[in-house]
Amino acid sequence: MANLKEIKRKIKSVENTKKTTRAMKLVSTAKLKRAELAAKKSRVYAEKINEVLSDISHKINKYKVGGIDSHYFDIKNDIEKVDIVFVTADKGLCGGFNIQTIKQVQTLMKKYKDKKVKVRLRAIGRKGIDFFKFQGIELLTNNVGVSSSPTYEKASEIINEAISDFENGVTDKVILVHNGYKNMISQELRVVDVVPIEEPDGKESESLSMMELEPAEDETILNSLMKKYFEYNMYYALIDSLAAEHSARMQAMENATNNASERVHKLTLAYNKARQESITTELIEIISGVESMK
Amino acid sequence: METLRLEIVTPEGQIFANNVKSVTLPGSEGEFGVLPHHASLVSLLKTGVIDIELTNGEHEIVAVDWGHAEIDETKVTILADGAVAIVGENESEIAKSIESAKKLIDSMSDSDVAIAMAEAKIDNILKSKKY
Repeated sequence: MANLKEIKRKIKSVENTKKTTRAMKLVSTAKLKRAELAAKKSRVYAEKINEVLSDISHKINKYKVGGIDSHYFDIKNDIEKVDIVFVTADKGLCGGFNIQTIKQVQTLMKKYKDKKVKVRLRAIGRKGIDFFKFQGIELLTNNVGVSSSPTYEKASEIINEAISDFENGVTDKVILVHNGYKNMISQELRVVDVVPIEEPDGKESESLSMMELEPAEDETILNSLMKKYFEYNMYYALIDSLAAEHSARMQAMENATNNASERVHKLTLAYNKARQESITTELIEIISGVESMK
Repeated sequence: METLRLEIVTPEGQIFANNVKSVTLPGSEGEFGVLPHHASLVSLLKTGVIDIELTNGEHEIVAVDWGHAEIDETKVTILADGAVAIVGENESEIAKSIESAKKLIDSMSDSDVAIAMAEAKIDNILKSKKY
């Protein structure tokens, strides 16, 4: 009889877990819808600004426009120090979402270490911070709470720190890593070299003319465009990552709910079997008792 | 007929994307027009009105607060912080979009002259369209 009770308790516990995971799934589904919309809206702008910048980078490197000697576009071969900015979630329970980003960061670190390049990490999101702290790897900056509610101000603050180090010659490259939203059921790792700006890969720009800048006297226009580019890239990474996080969590929780249902089913079978067994034993006892009295 | 590819994007999404005959932009150094085969140019935009001449000869107007324009021979890309297209099926919808365009311009520009100029421009174009 003790066995019966135990199985019943297990069933109850699994059912409670199932309730929790289902609730989490519903919450993520609702949040995903909003995050997805936000990510989709800003994707166009992010893509366009990248396109424009890589176009400009191409032209500046090709024609040396107006003596502009902006090191934003200067792609060096021998780099000494790299900053990696990476975005993870603040919360877990979202499958392999965080670990994918972390693994990518580790691969990058190894790649640069092999080349004797110093790597510094700028972390956003509690999960990534916890992981590297546990590993005993030093993080340059920690930002908690940004990835669950991204704002433009916060994003620009974080990226400007990294950029100003680049401007002052402390670092030679800034890389941005985040796990982005692909569709409802899959995420996609995105690794972007923020500075120096990459030229469009492969395809030659159709335009052949020199580029003019207006206002021409100084670099204000380039600088304001660059600022926008950095900030927006960071901001987009954050909202894209948030959408991906919700989609990953939704999926993880759906799997968990399904597993719980399966478990309940199996336990119920076991429970019925045990019950049947105890009834049979009781019957045998009664019958054999009656038999012996004859 | 040769056309330009014009795209206007803001952080809130794409406002306009089509082939056009020509476009007039409110550059920070003054207003300028762009036709196909324009030389490459990157310009700052100030608060004002973008006047688009569509391939069928009709005009469309978009108000912008601040942004950048990248121009080359075949395309014009405008990255604006905020933009409102003045379009609509009927008069009330158009009036509504004009309202929001004026609000956008008001909120961004600190000089009354710029506001007045932009608003006058909107009114002018609307009059010529006989709304």
